[in-house]
Amino acid sequence: MPKMTFIERDGTRREVDAPLGLSVLEIAHQHDVDIEGACEGSLACSTCHVIVDPAWFRKLATPTEDEEDMLDLAFGLTETSRLGCQIVMTEALDGLVVKLPAGTRNLLND
Amino acid sequence: MNDRPPRPNRPVYLDNQATTRCDPRVLETMLPFFTERYGNPHSVEHVMGHDAEAAVEAARAQVAALVGADVKEIVFTSGATESNNIAIKGAARFAARMGNERRRVVTVATEHKCVLESVADLADEGFAPVFLPVRSDGLLDPAALRDALTEPTLLVSVMAVNNEIGVVQDIPALAAIAKEAGALFHTDIAQATGKIPLDLTGWRVDLASISGHKLYGPKGVGALFVRRRPRVRLAPLFSGGGQERGLRSGTLPAPLIVGLGEACRLAQADMAEETARIAALRARLLGQLQRDIPGIVVNGSMSARIAGNLNLTFPAAAAADLMARAPELCVSTGSACSSAAIEPSYVLRALGLSDAAAARTLRIGIGRFTSPADIDYAAAALAAAHAGRATPVA
Repeated sequence: MPKMTFIERDGTRREVDAPLGLSVLEIAHQHDVDIEGACEGSLACSTCHVIVDPAWFRKLATPTEDEEDMLDLAFGLTETSRLGCQIVMTEALDGLVVKLPAGTRNLLND
Repeated sequence: MNDRPPRPNRPVYLDNQATTRCDPRVLETMLPFFTERYGNPHSVEHVMGHDAEAAVEAARAQVAALVGADVKEIVFTSGATESNNIAIKGAARFAARMGNERRRVVTVATEHKCVLESVADLADEGFAPVFLPVRSDGLLDPAALRDALTEPTLLVSVMAVNNEIGVVQDIPALAAIAKEAGALFHTDIAQATGKIPLDLTGWRVDLASISGHKLYGPKGVGALFVRRRPRVRLAPLFSGGGQERGLRSGTLPAPLIVGLGEACRLAQADMAEETARIAALRARLLGQLQRDIPGIVVNGSMSARIAGNLNLTFPAAAAADLMARAPELCVSTGSACSSAAIEPSYVLRALGLSDAAAARTLRIGIGRFTSPADIDYAAAALAAAHAGRATPVA
């Protein structure tokens, strides 16, 4: 099974099993990694914002306009920011590294 | 030609680069949104809010259609000054926050004050402003831009149409030069919108600023075009409720936006016909003035120029005296935007005019509501004023 690594807010690296076909958000939830995902992957929020390791960023499929629209609203956006719900695990992504941002913006819970 | 021009029953308004009359058809579309349809377009929980939101979105589509943009690329603002501030400061600050090493921000000496000041203010934040000169015809030499961009540049800002001399910069060519150099390209299209055809998408413009009251819409509203593909991101200036994709927080003024949309729709429908009519009026005015005032000079390119603008240096009379002798004629000595400052126009200086020549210069702006009788009155009044005679006041 492919693996992927989450770098948590305190810098801790957690390597976890990453089943093919699951999104990074779903993989995080399986392993109790602290990513919110308030809209459960329906592209209606930016709370599953992750910062992809630059070496991996260019291997990902290009984000859709809808994902870019949500990233517009993400807190602490970076050049390699993506939404975790839109990155789906494939063989080619075995070893993927993503970092959790310092904070998220959940307009529903403010 | 009568020596004494016919007296108008109201002032003759030839200052359409300062502002335009709100078209009565525009006003008509706005009124219900002050009286009966007053909902907040962000009230998503009831029918009044939905009604206002639908009207705002329809207006957004009308603005987008006029400038060659996608509807989602239009952000409403209070006007071109705000749009220029958000575009220039927002692009620079966002890029710096993303770790972009580029610091150079390039603009042109004849830009509107709000562009010049926005770029200059960025110096305090560690950016490097560059102000390029123009040729004597008021146009930016593309080679000068290319030279400036040999150093890595973050943003280039060049206005499409100048507010004092009406010259039209070659935006598609300049944008292409900026894009080749990896810079963002912003253009202030306040004086161009509705006056010349615009294709922001095709021209690869990243950011563009629009004003309502320059195209027969209401004052206090404008828009900013923000390209989506490839995505252009900005740091917002306002903190707030996150309206307008987070770029411009604040309740949208639905009546003003509806008016801006209708103004754009009318401009698009009538542009070719209106341009031809205004060009004919300008030719008539210039012909009469050249006949009656030998030695009068037009500043700025006549070929690359919007139809409604003249900027004239008179041979033998100060502009202030001309205006004092023709009090029923509304023209100006420079842009209204900087006329609080009593100093010669920096735009005319950039063209190489002496301060003495600049002091003998008037800006004349012909518009949708200018009649042939207005033109004849203006020509006669200016000729009489130049000969030292006052025009009788009604």
